[in-house]
Amino acid sequence: MSEVEDSLSAPHRLAYTYKRSLGPVLGQFFTGLRDGRILGVRRADGTVMVPPKEYDPDTGEAIDEMVELADTGEVVSWAWVHEPRPSQPLDQAFAYALIRLDGADTPLLHAVDAGDESSMQTGMRVRARWSDEPVGAITDIACFEPVA
Amino acid sequence: MAELCGIVGIGQTKHDSKRIDVSMAGLLREAAERALEDAELTWRDIDAVVIGKAPDLFEGVMMPELFLADALGGAYKPMLRVHTAGSVGGSTGIVAASLIQAGIHDRVLVAAFEKQSESNAMWALSIPMPFSVAVVAGAGGFFAPLVRGYMRRSGAPEDTGIRVAVKDRENALKNPYAHLHMEDISFDLVASSPMLWDPIRYLETCPSSDGACAMVLSSESLAAKAPTRPAWVHSTAMRSEPTMFSGRDQVMPQGILDNAEALYKKAGITNPRKEIDCAEMYVPFSWFEPMWCEGMLFAEPNEGWKMTYEGATAMDGDLPINMSGGVLSSNPIGASGLLRFAEAALQVRGQAGDHQVEGAKKALGHAYGGGSQYFSTWIVGSEKP
Repeated sequence: MSEVEDSLSAPHRLAYTYKRSLGPVLGQFFTGLRDGRILGVRRADGTVMVPPKEYDPDTGEAIDEMVELADTGEVVSWAWVHEPRPSQPLDQAFAYALIRLDGADTPLLHAVDAGDESSMQTGMRVRARWSDEPVGAITDIACFEPVA
Repeated sequence: MAELCGIVGIGQTKHDSKRIDVSMAGLLREAAERALEDAELTWRDIDAVVIGKAPDLFEGVMMPELFLADALGGAYKPMLRVHTAGSVGGSTGIVAASLIQAGIHDRVLVAAFEKQSESNAMWALSIPMPFSVAVVAGAGGFFAPLVRGYMRRSGAPEDTGIRVAVKDRENALKNPYAHLHMEDISFDLVASSPMLWDPIRYLETCPSSDGACAMVLSSESLAAKAPTRPAWVHSTAMRSEPTMFSGRDQVMPQGILDNAEALYKKAGITNPRKEIDCAEMYVPFSWFEPMWCEGMLFAEPNEGWKMTYEGATAMDGDLPINMSGGVLSSNPIGASGLLRFAEAALQVRGQAGDHQVEGAKKALGHAYGGGSQYFSTWIVGSEKP
């Protein structure tokens, strides 16, 4: 931004808590997280997608077959966060990673607590670290951690 | 010469205050699947999708056309979103029809929705925006002075609005999709309901609804293959004007008068009161029935209330209005305009069930939005134009 001091500026604060009805598919996904289970959906072509979608992004057909997946998987791609901001999932440096869970065909975006960037590599195995106080949200998985 | 546009499929949800059984996508999907079933078509048969909803701030979903593409089978197809405040359902229908009329697509799915249980329209309309005049009143507070202005200039009896509210809720009892089914509706019940924004009483206002509406529009050649007789689009019109400017007639905006004139001219209609068999008009507050009867040139200036008073707009009147129960009985805002357009099409297809106007051949669908500043209308007929 320029340093023009006489330009017009005004605060605009929005304050309203929106609600969401999740519907049958995402409803099961979030309820599953609360119970320590990760649920995906099986599409008509047999592939398993997580996070699940209500409608096939390719064909638009409704999807309703839920599949339980392991809480372990493989890092498909990642980026290191050197200095996390307050709103990010971990206080210490971590990796944002696309993780393909065992049994799934699509990757899930989450955080990996690897300690040091040199510990991260594509193809590494990771396992979910679950929150102690699950509420039915994606943050019920606190993060993933490397499997030794 | 423009292509003809036929309406071959119509679907809507059961409108309700809270559809917590479905997601936003699921709500829209319900209406869209019903429209496809009515047309005996599948997602594959659709060339393009047009979606409409009210301001993003209502549900806090930015760009619903992206979020809802899969629910509407929109992947790899042209998909676009329309927005003109409360009239959006109507303008969404018009944009979809124009894609057929221009010969760009052969089959278009048009869908519109609002999930008010996940939003707060009153809040979204009331927040002061930087560098803008704050309305800080929601819709009712904005429109009440306009109604008062209409009462003053027309000399309409004070109970005109009550009569509209009773008539529309009685009609809603015949419509299984309507949100409000008030078996005990009566003049006294409306008259004794609390005054919210003088002169508008609680029961003279629309409810907050979750709901969706969808239609399949088709070119002439493909409409010939439709399993049910299509409704044909005879004419469409849209007009807009700024919310406020010095000298603006907010009670009877120039926009609606120009819209009506253009609509009838295109449809070859010279006497709308006689030539149109029934109309679904956007009446979120009861007094807007007589006001828009004048705006749509069914009545002389300041005489629209007489149509209400004499029963002309009742189911057995000479120009039934809001056979479905109207916006006063169901208001999923983004869908409300498309529901008006869909009801007009249902009527000329003879599919309106217990609220069918016998032998309806030409019907008007009307929507307005913003501060009485967006107007969208169509006329549909049982015969080709």
